[in-house]
Amino acid sequence: MEEKIKLSGIYITGTLLMIGVGIAAVLISFLQDPGRGWANVLLNNVYFVSLSVGALLFLSIQRVTHSGWSAGFIRVPEAMGGFLPVAALLFLLMIPGANALYHWSHAEAVARDPLLAHKAPYLNLPFWIIRMAVYFALWILMAVLLRRISLREDREGGLGPFRRGELYSRIFIFIVILTFSLAMIDWIMSIDAHWYSTIFAVKNFVAAFHHASIVIAFTVLLMNRRGYFPFLNKSHLGDFSRYIFMLCIIWGYFWFAEFMLIWYGNIPEETAYFIPRIRGEGWAFFFYANIAINWLLPFVLLMPLALARNKTVLKIVIPFLIAGQFIDLYIQIFPGTLGTQVLGFQEIGTFVGYAGLFMLVTGYMLTRANLYPVNHPFLEESRAHHT
Amino acid sequence: MGSAYILGVYAQEESLLAAFRKLKEEKIEIADVFMPFPVHEVLQNLGRKSRITIVGWFFGFFSALAVLAFLFYTAVIDWPLNYGGKPSNAFPSFLVVTIVLTIFSITILSLFTFSMRAGLWPGNEKPIFHERATDDSFVILLDKTKVDTERAIRIMKETGAIEITEKQTGQKA
Repeated sequence: MEEKIKLSGIYITGTLLMIGVGIAAVLISFLQDPGRGWANVLLNNVYFVSLSVGALLFLSIQRVTHSGWSAGFIRVPEAMGGFLPVAALLFLLMIPGANALYHWSHAEAVARDPLLAHKAPYLNLPFWIIRMAVYFALWILMAVLLRRISLREDREGGLGPFRRGELYSRIFIFIVILTFSLAMIDWIMSIDAHWYSTIFAVKNFVAAFHHASIVIAFTVLLMNRRGYFPFLNKSHLGDFSRYIFMLCIIWGYFWFAEFMLIWYGNIPEETAYFIPRIRGEGWAFFFYANIAINWLLPFVLLMPLALARNKTVLKIVIPFLIAGQFIDLYIQIFPGTLGTQVLGFQEIGTFVGYAGLFMLVTGYMLTRANLYPVNHPFLEESRAHHT
Repeated sequence: MGSAYILGVYAQEESLLAAFRKLKEEKIEIADVFMPFPVHEVLQNLGRKSRITIVGWFFGFFSALAVLAFLFYTAVIDWPLNYGGKPSNAFPSFLVVTIVLTIFSITILSLFTFSMRAGLWPGNEKPIFHERATDDSFVILLDKTKVDTERAIRIMKETGAIEITEKQTGQKA
């Protein structure tokens, strides 16, 4: 089972080309309208940090629950977690854009607005930067610890690293629930600083987990096509689908709970968030596409077991869901930052560039260790998995 | 309507599987298998597919429609009331009740359907074919009228049955 992979020349060239497209898109959008550029940067930063954190959460849950089925695939979420240092760098680059993104970061706006002044002890730039640094420090620390213990298991074997990994996973789950929720409030919800929703953070937390599971499943499927993970069978596919199915229901539930309560309460302060998104020029399509793609599509298509265990069906559903996460963040970020609905080369190109960078880093991290955790106590169970 | 059955009792999963494969190979019809834990191969190859999930889906689909129709009838057609200026057809707020009642209906209706199909209604006593079938042994059940008895018993002996008996019951398995 000892196998190391190598990135092919085509893969590296392809991802570099994607990054090139991304850089071009970022440059164009910054030259045209810096506000649009910063909104794009924020969207993609959040998108890919969600994938990394969600993947580590997926990994931690597998470890804590002693899941046998996924043991053979844990290098994929580990590698996705390796993107976190790069994401931290990208977030550092976003600090100069805070003024363009966040209404509350303008001193004169806070002086005129009693509500923003009231929130100022939490929503101010220095504290915002400190919080960001703390989140990333904790996440990167835990990612490194989880990765190290997994590599030590490869070298030494035995139950020691496995138990230690479980302990780290517990700590990580505890940390990430608090920090990621706060991060979502800091980075996305504070765009509309007057508005708040108590379920917002949970909804985005589940969205991160949802889409990380999707990307893990997609990576495994694509690698399987190239001959890796030869033991991948219908039962594994069914379990991947169950994760996507379950998380799409939870996400849809939270999305609906947020919308329905605000709609029914009908308080102007709260509905102010949804009115431009439903009635504003061009936004309504994305608002409904969000729930249709992220909830309805996997809910309907992955419900029958025969479809959920079919590689082709998964390969069709997953790209939609990858776009779905983009739409979800787009409808949360763009109405508040830019105000006008724009979706052109700048948005798509920036996303392609970030995707290329993410693929390159994840691919590189995958080459750094055995593709299979050779001494994982559940590896055999994973290979013989049958439901 | 009594039936007679041949029972092959096995102590181990391996010997049960050997007997199961052999009987399948010889095209001897197996009426049922009792196992202390689910053995995947037997579940898959026994040829008894449960349709309860499909039935459950239809229960859910129709109860969701029924609940929505009921809410629409009461709130819009029969007795429209003005709650805080909301439209009578406050569709998003109907959905919560629909979800909860749909789950309830699926659970209850599936439970009743399963009980009916398994013959577990009150007053109906299901036969226990072998005492150890409810405990730690694997039991293969063959319908005596449908199989070549001698050949079946020979196969069962060859594959290591710890006990082979016959049982008459008033009911089908």
